[in-house]
Amino acid sequence: MPLRPGRVGRVGVIGAPVAKTAVVAKAVTPGPSPVAKAAVVTAAVTPGRRRRRI
Amino acid sequence: MTTASPTEASLDELGPVDYVIVEFPAGASTFTGEMATELLALVDSGTIRVIDVLILTKNEDGTVDAMELSDIDELGPLQAVETQLAELLAADDVDHLAAAMDPGSTAGVLIWENLWAAPFASAARRSGGQLIANGRIPIQAIIASIEADEASSTEGG
Repeated sequence: MPLRPGRVGRVGVIGAPVAKTAVVAKAVTPGPSPVAKAAVVTAAVTPGRRRRRI
Repeated sequence: MTTASPTEASLDELGPVDYVIVEFPAGASTFTGEMATELLALVDSGTIRVIDVLILTKNEDGTVDAMELSDIDELGPLQAVETQLAELLAADDVDHLAAAMDPGSTAGVLIWENLWAAPFASAARRSGGQLIANGRIPIQAIIASIEADEASSTEGG
């Protein structure tokens, strides 16, 4: 299906070809189960939870 | 005393604009209307304003077909969103966005303004602040950071 004429010949806003980002589901395997890792991440960004300084 | 032009004033009130491409591999899409419901909830709550939507299909030979939201027969509640679209994306953008897609897949492209951020951004500008960087922290990076912390604490006893 063709694009609307208004989209043709205009200057774009996406400056360069986009690269695919890593899929989160793939990033959380292998290792602990995805559910377990999701819980860890959630805990890390929970309000009031400050990370321990090393 | 100088006064801001209508365009300047409008730009000053504009929230950050983001985009996502959500890819559905061939044969893996199960459209139930749930995405539309959640999108409408964000619009109705004033969290975002949808600026543009395109549905892209990348053929096996690498060519890309683009479909406007208005090309869909039964838009349902999304009709209200469609009438407000600004058609920001140009033809060149379609090629750039489709570069991330796998052949045989379909993807939805969503451009939106973060209305929730506009008042804060405007206040920052009025205070003399200038945005010098922004971005998104991938969940993968958070996981890596947590794991590094855990490994470090284990090694340190």
